[in-house]
Amino acid sequence: MAIFRLHLPILDEIKEKGLRPALRDKTDDIVTRVTAGLSIQDVRSMLRDDPPGRPNPRLKPHSEGFWLHMKPTYYHNLVDGIYPTFRLGWLSTFFFVVEIVTGVLLMVYYTPSPEFAFTNMLDILSNVPFGRLIRDIHRLGAELMVAIVMLHALRTFLTGSYKKPRQFTWATGIILLLVTWLLSFSGYLLPWDQLSLWAVTIGVSMVEAIPPEVVGRTVNLLFRGAPEFGANGLLRWYLLHVVALPLAGIVFVGVHYYKVVLHGHSLPPDAEEVGEDTARRVPTDSRTYFFPHIATRELFYVVALTALIVIGALFVHAPLEPHADPLVTPLHSTAPWYFLWLQGMLKLGDKVIFGLIVPGVLIGGLLVLPYVEVGPSRRYGSRRIGLTAGLGLVFTFGVLSYMGSPWFAVQTSPEQEAVAELLPQTHPGPLRLADWEGFTVGTYEASAYDQAPTETLRSVLDEFEGSIEGIKIDGRSDYQGVIVIEDWQTNLKKLTLRILWTDDVTGKPGEYSQTVYLHKDSNYGQGE
Amino acid sequence: MTEAVAQAPMESGATERLPLSRREFLNYLWAMSMAVFMAGSGGAAVWFLYPRFRAGEFGGVFTIPVGELPPPDSAPKEFPEGRFWLSNIGQQTESDPRQPGDYPLQTGVRAIYKVCTHLGCLYKWVETNDRFECPCHGSKFLKTGTRVDGPARRNLDNFPIEVLDGQGNVIARTEPMMDNHEGSPVTITADAVTLRVDTGRRINGAPNSAPGGGM
Amino acid sequence: MRWHIALGTLSLLILVAVFGYIAVGEQARMQSFTEAYDARQIETGASLFETHCRTCHGPQGKGIVGVAPAINAADLFNGERLAAVGFSGTLTDYLEGVISAGRPVPSAGTNYPQRMPTWAQAYGGPLRKDQIESLVVFIENWEDRALAEVGAAPSAPSGTPIGTDITVSLPEGNADQGAALAQGAQGGCSACHELAAVGPPWAAAGDTPGVFVRASDRINESDYTGNANTAQQYLIESIVQPNAFVVSGYEAGIMPQDYAQRLTAQQVADLIAYMESLP
Repeated sequence: MAIFRLHLPILDEIKEKGLRPALRDKTDDIVTRVTAGLSIQDVRSMLRDDPPGRPNPRLKPHSEGFWLHMKPTYYHNLVDGIYPTFRLGWLSTFFFVVEIVTGVLLMVYYTPSPEFAFTNMLDILSNVPFGRLIRDIHRLGAELMVAIVMLHALRTFLTGSYKKPRQFTWATGIILLLVTWLLSFSGYLLPWDQLSLWAVTIGVSMVEAIPPEVVGRTVNLLFRGAPEFGANGLLRWYLLHVVALPLAGIVFVGVHYYKVVLHGHSLPPDAEEVGEDTARRVPTDSRTYFFPHIATRELFYVVALTALIVIGALFVHAPLEPHADPLVTPLHSTAPWYFLWLQGMLKLGDKVIFGLIVPGVLIGGLLVLPYVEVGPSRRYGSRRIGLTAGLGLVFTFGVLSYMGSPWFAVQTSPEQEAVAELLPQTHPGPLRLADWEGFTVGTYEASAYDQAPTETLRSVLDEFEGSIEGIKIDGRSDYQGVIVIEDWQTNLKKLTLRILWTDDVTGKPGEYSQTVYLHKDSNYGQGE
Repeated sequence: MTEAVAQAPMESGATERLPLSRREFLNYLWAMSMAVFMAGSGGAAVWFLYPRFRAGEFGGVFTIPVGELPPPDSAPKEFPEGRFWLSNIGQQTESDPRQPGDYPLQTGVRAIYKVCTHLGCLYKWVETNDRFECPCHGSKFLKTGTRVDGPARRNLDNFPIEVLDGQGNVIARTEPMMDNHEGSPVTITADAVTLRVDTGRRINGAPNSAPGGGM
Repeated sequence: MRWHIALGTLSLLILVAVFGYIAVGEQARMQSFTEAYDARQIETGASLFETHCRTCHGPQGKGIVGVAPAINAADLFNGERLAAVGFSGTLTDYLEGVISAGRPVPSAGTNYPQRMPTWAQAYGGPLRKDQIESLVVFIENWEDRALAEVGAAPSAPSGTPIGTDITVSLPEGNADQGAALAQGAQGGCSACHELAAVGPPWAAAGDTPGVFVRASDRINESDYTGNANTAQQYLIESIVQPNAFVVSGYEAGIMPQDYAQRLTAQQVADLIAYMESLP
């Protein structure tokens, strides 16, 4: 008496066809469903690079599947190589995915609170296997993504691909540029070391300058979460970095890419008639299909780039400066490289004009560029003015970035600068990297470097003498450098760098000194 | 482009056998290397994500100087950060009439996990009754960790101990006992200096469900 | 297109090899980073000690008599001090606790006039938790040397103590040696009279002249209760008989009472010469 019967269709098929044919058909069925339309035979024929049958089954994953729905089924031959796109859009998306993956892995060990953030970073570097690797990939990927997104914008401008009908695509692209910048900037704050705190404090201070005053102050407080950056600010920027901006990125990438596929990749400018947009109408003999050719190529790029990033992370390490200290700003604090242009502009004059209005006008101008610049031709020859303006902007970006660097027009007293060459405050520097054993106890004059007892001392004193010789101040003369080395504790030495001079007018001596303690095992320069 | 044997385009769905071309083989090789990489990354991801316990944290190793041990046959001593009791089983405890015969004993020190084997409450030491008693459902255990009453179904769990001398050599350690695989108590000799209790590895108590204790 | 497949496979194998290479070295790398970071904490601690602790606990943590105990001392590391105060935790816990929360009550048998203030931000002080941890590891790094030293008691004066007679004639004083004495551990004067305002400041400030000038005025004031007739005698009296006259606004009994037995006449002369040299 059976209340119900267990009915397994596979058993029926085995009974009908025999075991092996039944299994083969079942596998074929599964493969067809997973690939959204390709049977084993179709897959094999793709892998063999056989010409497809008619109707072409390799279009089905695009039309019937979810993941490849937006992907074009074929590309024009002229755009499937490196030129003219250099694959920069693809690379931007790739790096976005890399950042999401490595970012989530880092989130497992990170707490967005000033009490824990720095300790968590130390934990990731000292107590998590592959912790340093994942962090280095995340940081390298971030820097590369910003560079690639900017290059992508430049390339699109140069090939005139922003013109009709792709104006909105360009606009969403500029928004994505802002999202990328903000993502990188917000990530900067999270380690809560000196670099984080001060780079972000400087950046957000510009928001305070928004006129009228009440708006500026309100927006500033909204961003910082408190009058000074602290627990609230860190949490807000963490949420921006981990939730709001990635979501915005995904949404806008969706819109952006949809428009790209809708209009088709723009052809090289000289391949089209002026004013004609032939990107969508691709004759059959100019097509390169996604499956298998473009797919293979893209899979290869993924693999090769992953290998390159991991190898890159072996050599380029993310730094970790000392714990954030709201009371001490390190000498030569600097904004991230992609914001140096802003810093440079701020050195030109008023915070409101150069920090807000001019950048605002620039970004706004970029946003509306395709709606304003409506010349029909994408040919390089007919866009000389535009191309010159664009390259001029790039050049200005470079110059402003140099001006934004700490070495331009921001200097403390020359004695401090001279000592900072040996003892910088943002990275280890020659003194900390030198061999500890070579620092024998004693007092040494920089000018007598060739009489130093050890090789380490000789080179350090030589460098010190070199920095001192660069000091030339009116009214002071007779500069001398002295390094005093004392044995302070077990395996700990105290080094005092002292610069002495004579004031020409009063004849009195002057002095500037800085002290540092060095431990035998502190091992700077590991690429921490 | 293709150097494979040129085949007439096949209709989708046909399951005829095609010979393996070189390109196809290379693609399969690529797929296999991708599988190897995925497996490797999976392993690396597990290693990355697996929680690590520092010494002195529960889950890690606790180092206890011999001076902190309770004397033999006295009340067990608790170590809350490590979540264990150190119980010093002496002659008296070994010949305790309440001890069920199924669990033969040796003298020595045991590190007993503070969590009751019934449903996870922390039992207490009741000096007047000279046994552990759990307040949640009344399971009762002797100083040795053996259950003598209550709804728990096994003896108390314990952690392996290593005994070290002054030079750091291991002179005794918890071994599985023949009949019931419970960890044996470690003998403290004169040259013992420290004990290391590894709270990352737990030895389950032997089954014990008979009334009054026993298998 | 075939080279895409070949290079793709090669890249993957290289990736697996690189992962393997990293995996093999990870344990050692993590260990070495931990050690390097612990060492850097000692460096940070050294710098913090100089800024915040040296004024009371003395250079190299040897303590300043009458101000603060020695930290670089054997009894801290061999358990004696912990037992004396009845602390049941580890030395690390003790150091962290004392630095964070200060010492509202002095240890038995001592009477440092100033209480150690709180340092942790949690208790209203200026230091973060990681800074306090740095100080703790720095202090713990004194262990080897502190234990190797044989009992460093405050040294007896090399010569006859000056005694309490304020009319004694003094030899020629040397201001530099006086400065060294005032700032060093044996005298310990600077901690209260120069670096902090526990006792009347020696240096001139605003309209108030320096201590040497004030001395001559003060002996003529109506509320002066001491026996000095000259400025020099006044200064000697302040050192060897501190409670003979206490300047208004300051408390009696804070200045150590035993300088008469600890300092020689030469040392007192040096100190007075130093006071005279101050602006």
